[in-house]
Amino acid sequence: MSSADDPRYGGIDPDVSLLRPYLLTSGRTQPVDQTLEVEAQVLTSQLGAAAHDSLAFERRDIVELCRVTMSVAEVAAILGLHIGVARILVADLAELGYVIVRRPATQLNQDIDMIERVIRGLEAIS
Amino acid sequence: MKIVIAGGFGVGKTTTVSAISEILPLTTEALITSAGALIDPIAEVPAKTTTTVALDFGCITIDEEVKLYLFGTPGQDRFGFMWHDLIQGALGALVIVDTRRLDDSFPAVDYFEKTGVPFVIGINVFDGKLAHDLADVRWALAISDEVPLVTFDARFRLSVRDALLAVLRNTIDKNRIKTATR
Repeated sequence: MSSADDPRYGGIDPDVSLLRPYLLTSGRTQPVDQTLEVEAQVLTSQLGAAAHDSLAFERRDIVELCRVTMSVAEVAAILGLHIGVARILVADLAELGYVIVRRPATQLNQDIDMIERVIRGLEAIS
Repeated sequence: MKIVIAGGFGVGKTTTVSAISEILPLTTEALITSAGALIDPIAEVPAKTTTTVALDFGCITIDEEVKLYLFGTPGQDRFGFMWHDLIQGALGALVIVDTRRLDDSFPAVDYFEKTGVPFVIGINVFDGKLAHDLADVRWALAISDEVPLVTFDARFRLSVRDALLAVLRNTIDKNRIKTATR
């Protein structure tokens, strides 16, 4: 439970976390890997699962959550983290080998075959 | 795979994402509290103590291997997260416009014109009514003829789907033009 959900903090806008974002990221505002995409897929590694108990707070939550593959954006939304904070934490965990990050291919917007595949997928929606 | 949904506040970005996403649209946000607001030159409303920059997103499964993510955001915030990060690798952008408040659309239109990410202007037609003629909208937004302009209704899945298809087809067209002029 984050402080924002805690009834003891009644009277304060429940959407506002009392923690400042930089506290979660050791003061950093940029991820170690500045290019980490918000749609990159994150999956907890065996190493990460083993380290679960030694991790604290948000890092532990991420390792727990990403037993099922999900995007950085989903991690942020589900854990109620600012998207920038989630990027930093995921990049940190990837650096430690606790999560495996699958990045989208580059230059996708020039990959006509792939775009046509997405078009066919969308056309199938009814 | 991602498409960026841009536009000013209240133009229907969240509605657009909700209409077509398989997952409930999730929102992640930044709240900048009073300290930031005090030095904010645009914070003319004295009671304003927080600023929210929300990133809505949704997901559509294309096939077993491909997922299309939709990201909707009004702009940039002060914690390092900007459109710039979001548009990297995007297949294209849908810039949503509400013709009753064209002014709100200028920053997004301006931004995408400069970045070179192929984009389509999607006029969200509330209640099926267009406040202005399409040619007038094009003129008012000062967009060139190469930028497609489509009308859609953010509340309906198929209408949103068609707007997204327009975005993808425009990206293909722009790629072909680039290749042809090489």
